[in-house]
Amino acid sequence: MWREIRDREAGKTRPNSFKNRVSSSRIFDLQLSNYKDVVSPHRGSINSLQVDLTEGRYLLSGASDASASVFDIQHATDFEGGGEGALIAKHKSLITIDKQHQNGHKFAISSAIWYTIDTGLFVTGSYDHYIKVWDTNSTQMVMNFKMPGKVYRTAMSPLATSHMLIAAGTEDVQVRLCDIASGAFAHTLSGHRDGVMTVEWSTSSEWVLVTGGCDGAIRFWDIRRAGCFLVLDQSQSQLGRRPPLLARSAVNKVSTSKALSKGQNISVKPRLPQKKSGSGNGIKHSPIGQIPAKGSLKQRLHPGMLSSQDRATAHYGAVTGLKTTEDGMYLLSAGSDSRIRLWDVKSGRNTLVNFETARLQTSKPIQLATTQDSNLVFVPCMTSVKAFDIWSGRTRVTFRGHYEYVNCCWFSSQDQELYTGGNDRQILVWSPARLISNEDSSPAEDQDNWSD
Amino acid sequence: MEEDGGRAIKTVVRYSDSELRLAARTLMDLMKRDHSQVRYLTLLIIDELFMRSKLFRTLVVENLDQLLSLSVGFRRNHPLPAPPAVASILRSKAIEFLEKWNSSFGIHYRQIRLGFDYLKTSLRLQFPNVQANAAREEIRETVDEIGECLEIVKKKEANVVLGALDDDDDDDFEEFRPLDLRQLRLDSLKEGEKVCENSENKVVFDALRELYKLLVTKHMVSVKEGISVLIRVEVADTRLRDSMLKEFIDIRNRLQSVKKKCVDSGCSLPDLTKLDKEEEEDFWEEGKVESTDPGSFSEPSKRNENSAAPPTSGQVKNDPSECRTKKSKRQEFLCSEGGGSDSSSLRSKLIAEAPVIEWGSFLDTWGSNRDVLANQRGLDLESHWGRVDHDAVIPAKKIAELNLHATLYKEERVEIQPCQAPLGKGGLCQRRDLRVCPFHGPIIPRDDEGNPINQGTSTSDDITLDPGTDLVEQLTKQAVKECSGQR
Repeated sequence: MWREIRDREAGKTRPNSFKNRVSSSRIFDLQLSNYKDVVSPHRGSINSLQVDLTEGRYLLSGASDASASVFDIQHATDFEGGGEGALIAKHKSLITIDKQHQNGHKFAISSAIWYTIDTGLFVTGSYDHYIKVWDTNSTQMVMNFKMPGKVYRTAMSPLATSHMLIAAGTEDVQVRLCDIASGAFAHTLSGHRDGVMTVEWSTSSEWVLVTGGCDGAIRFWDIRRAGCFLVLDQSQSQLGRRPPLLARSAVNKVSTSKALSKGQNISVKPRLPQKKSGSGNGIKHSPIGQIPAKGSLKQRLHPGMLSSQDRATAHYGAVTGLKTTEDGMYLLSAGSDSRIRLWDVKSGRNTLVNFETARLQTSKPIQLATTQDSNLVFVPCMTSVKAFDIWSGRTRVTFRGHYEYVNCCWFSSQDQELYTGGNDRQILVWSPARLISNEDSSPAEDQDNWSD
Repeated sequence: MEEDGGRAIKTVVRYSDSELRLAARTLMDLMKRDHSQVRYLTLLIIDELFMRSKLFRTLVVENLDQLLSLSVGFRRNHPLPAPPAVASILRSKAIEFLEKWNSSFGIHYRQIRLGFDYLKTSLRLQFPNVQANAAREEIRETVDEIGECLEIVKKKEANVVLGALDDDDDDDFEEFRPLDLRQLRLDSLKEGEKVCENSENKVVFDALRELYKLLVTKHMVSVKEGISVLIRVEVADTRLRDSMLKEFIDIRNRLQSVKKKCVDSGCSLPDLTKLDKEEEEDFWEEGKVESTDPGSFSEPSKRNENSAAPPTSGQVKNDPSECRTKKSKRQEFLCSEGGGSDSSSLRSKLIAEAPVIEWGSFLDTWGSNRDVLANQRGLDLESHWGRVDHDAVIPAKKIAELNLHATLYKEERVEIQPCQAPLGKGGLCQRRDLRVCPFHGPIIPRDDEGNPINQGTSTSDDITLDPGTDLVEQLTKQAVKECSGQR
């Protein structure tokens, strides 16, 4: 550690790589935090967790008892455990909205998200068919949207500058976009054949929305035009990850490349340069589906698309969770078939990474989380949370602590902390071990005590 | 199994960390056996090691949920195995262990806290609450023992006392004795009731003293602490708090009655009473602070009145048990009386000095410097003109401004001297002018006939000026007085 710091000071390592190294080593150190407790005021299972994107300080949780709470995760409200030793910082909720609130939800809150620009607003979606927008400071409802069915998931684009749309996945087959600016539905996206469990905005384009439905389909929408432009098909596959721009550094990371795959890799490679040039300059202004050659064919077919393409499925059973990686190039999906799939967004193909999941929850949407450098994905697997290596699918860490099913997790890349919420009403904090352990100064020391 | 086996395991396990790891793994495997008896015995060993080794704790805690589900059997699809009688013992023992672990190591292991919370709040399992029960038991035992001691002592002395008692009672009916004498009588009666300590019952008395000491110094103090904590703490569930408070108060009352009995019995008890009394006073004063009675500042004056009244001997209550405490209290009163008279004289001095103001509504907020809630009068119609902000506050400054005390300037009546100049038709001029009479010129002091008194010695100017300045002075004085009165 000290040597690394000295190297950074001397200029031997770049500050960025130093930072990455430290943070990734911290991530592998994650364990159940003994000095940070989030005191959950919820009396039902926690369905949604999010730390705000602006300050990385306020944790928003939504629970089945129709309550949503905000916690300050950086400053504890009080301490417990006396003395200067094993202090337990208690984070109590700053705001709680529940059934008693005059505008509160009636049934379970399935999704609670922050407004992406600041922490002045947050959005809750509930099984009582309503999506409500709240003012954080006055804890009053600002706006509400009546949906045609239970709301499963809401999402706001993290990079939107030209729209303020809440994408909502409901029991209904149509995905609706609620406009906060006007208070009305801006779009109704139809294409799914069953309810929509998850919605996720692309992290590379502000107009691209990804939705996963109970019909097992994952659809990509460009909200500027009608219909969806891409339906992911699990049988369309490519082996492994496309080598990134720095081809050399990635070769060893392509873990699934076997003898058989080599030939295919070679055949893919010649096409690469032109793809890159396509995405390099245009990625901010165009949807990802600006696919050359074959893509243009698809675009011509669109909106009707070939019925065989339109009926493609990404999972057997419902798609319960979606997460785009930080760079927007890959999409992770979880399904009720207990599989996690990694999709190359660019080509729309299944990368065939085998994630070692045992079982996933089938009836509820689950919330995945990824690290900033897109190396790990955190997946709620029944009562535990597992961290998988995205590129190999191996289990790196298993977080066991919940006593019932885990529904959601959120990774705060600022503090390298993981927050998980489950049916046992607890919000657990998983944090790296403290560098300086001050356990020996604790009041009631935790020591061996052999009586004889 | 019990002693030797346990010792053997301990010695082996202490040998090295790897042995301990192995032990943890083996024990967990044993816990998975499909037999409750095996699991029960395993759990006992786990507890032994858990209370001793830190490494073992960290190993066990990692799989605590598994251990709990195997020992408590809270998962519906994994019920506890075969012999149901042992299974229920296993279950209750596991719950008991978890509580013990939580109270001693919970602070170091989040997992233990989590498991405990989960079983307690989510599954609502009944924890035995070992500590609280132990404390309760201890108090009960002490009380019982004291009761027994007293019984023994009373029995022994009963026949001796009885005769004397009757005599005294007879005397007591004669009402015409002076009060002082009667008091003396009562005292002697009380003495008679007291049991004399002698070599025979010395052992009993010693035990009694010991128990009494325990009762006063430990139990009563802890109960008091509990009550004060309960009063101070704010909980959402007031019902629970009330029931707990009631229980505490019951215990305290019982303790006090027992204590009273001890004092009554009259054995020479260790000198704890003083300390105890002080504590009691302290406690109740705390109670007063808690209630924040706004009118409490009138208390001292009342007490002064009380102490000022001559303490008559007749006031002493007849209740013998109260006697001693009364005396000590009187002592205190006398002390405070000394201080009281001092303060009262100071008070009267201040009263003499203080200006008198007319009554007005501004007196309501006299001397207070608090913000006032604007919408808490109970008069506003709920949201009649729109939403009502119930937290709206009128700041203290504004209140002071609104209550600015204004008084009209009242001139003090001054007797204006008549002119007194001799009139042509006889008699004196009765006009009352301030300075100059329109008919007779400046007003000057005159004698009975109307002749000016000092005309010869000084000029008229001086004379006319003099009363004028006098008047001005008077007026300014008056104004100053008014001002100070206002303030």
